[in-house]
Amino acid sequence: MTLNDLKAGQQARVLDVTASGATGQRLLDMGFVEGTPVQIVRNAPLVDPMDILVRGCHVSIRHDEAKTVEVELS
Amino acid sequence: MSRQHTWGKAYSVAVAGQPNAGKSTTFNALTGARQFVANYPGVTVEKRTGAFAYRGARITLVDLPGTYSLTSYSLEERVARDYLLDERPDVVLNVVDASNLERNLYLTFQLLEMERPLVIALNMMDIARGRGTAIDPEGLSEQLGVPVIPTVSNRGTGKHRLREVIWETCANPPTRHAGFCVDYGEDLETAIARLERSIQEDADLTKQCPSRWLAVKLLEGDPEAQRLLEGPVESRDYRLSGS
Repeated sequence: MTLNDLKAGQQARVLDVTASGATGQRLLDMGFVEGTPVQIVRNAPLVDPMDILVRGCHVSIRHDEAKTVEVELS
Repeated sequence: MSRQHTWGKAYSVAVAGQPNAGKSTTFNALTGARQFVANYPGVTVEKRTGAFAYRGARITLVDLPGTYSLTSYSLEERVARDYLLDERPDVVLNVVDASNLERNLYLTFQLLEMERPLVIALNMMDIARGRGTAIDPEGLSEQLGVPVIPTVSNRGTGKHRLREVIWETCANPPTRHAGFCVDYGEDLETAIARLERSIQEDADLTKQCPSRWLAVKLLEGDPEAQRLLEGPVESRDYRLSGS
C-alpha cells in the first residue's frame, strides 16, 4: 500500500521510500523515513496535491510522489 | 572622533538554514541595513553580505540560500555546500525554526558533519511556545555540543546575545570538532571508517573537506563528492607535468 491510496483523515506508518534521485532525497529531507507516522489531512479539489502531516509539518506533495512512499495503516 | 577607524580582526560568518527558518530576518537583525547584494559567481543565486562590528572586530555575514539539506541535487544546495567547503567561514550560524525543530535539525546534523564551528539561533521561540512546545535550549546545546541561542528575530529578541556568542566563537574557535556526530550504525560506520582511512592518505583531499563528511557523501553516491576524488583541474595538470 502506498501513501496515495489513503483517504483524508487516515493515519499510517512509513515503510519505505522507493523514489530515487532528487525526489527521493527531498522526501527523506521532509522526514519520510521508515517508521515515521503520517496523516492525510486532505486532498486538493482537483486531485493534486495532497496535504500530509509528518513530524508536525504540513507537507504538500503530488500523488505521483506519494505513490513512491510505501506505508501500512496504523 | 571619526567613524573610520582601523578594524581589528576580520571574521566571516555564513548564515545557513532551511527555507523560512528566518535566516534573512536574523541576518537583518544582526547587520541592520548595511548589506550588499550580489550573485554567487556563475549562478543566479542571490548572495547577500552584510557586516557588524563587535569589540573592535569586523564580522561579515553571508546569507546562504535556504536549503532543506546539503546534497548536490539542487543549485541552491550546491552553492551553500561549496561556499562552506571552499570559503571555510570562521563560523556557521545555523538559523533553526523552533516551531519545526525536528525537520530543521536534519540540516543541522549535516552542517555538523562539515566540521566548521557552529552556532545555532533557535528562532521563532514565540511560535513554538504558542503551540505549547517546550524547548530546553541549554539541553539542546549540551547534546549537540554547540552554542544554542533562543531568538525571536522579527522582534530583535536575542540578537545581542547572538552577536556576543558569534564573536566568542570566532575569536576562540573550538580546538577540535566538538559537535554531535550522527551514529549511522555498525555496518555503515565500518564502511565510513574504511573510506576515511583511504581519504586521509591524500593530503590534498583532506585539505579540501572533512574526511568523514566525504566518506558519508561517497556512500550516498553523491556525484559532486565523487568529482572531488578526481582532484581540482590545476593540481592534476601539475601532477602530469611534474611526472
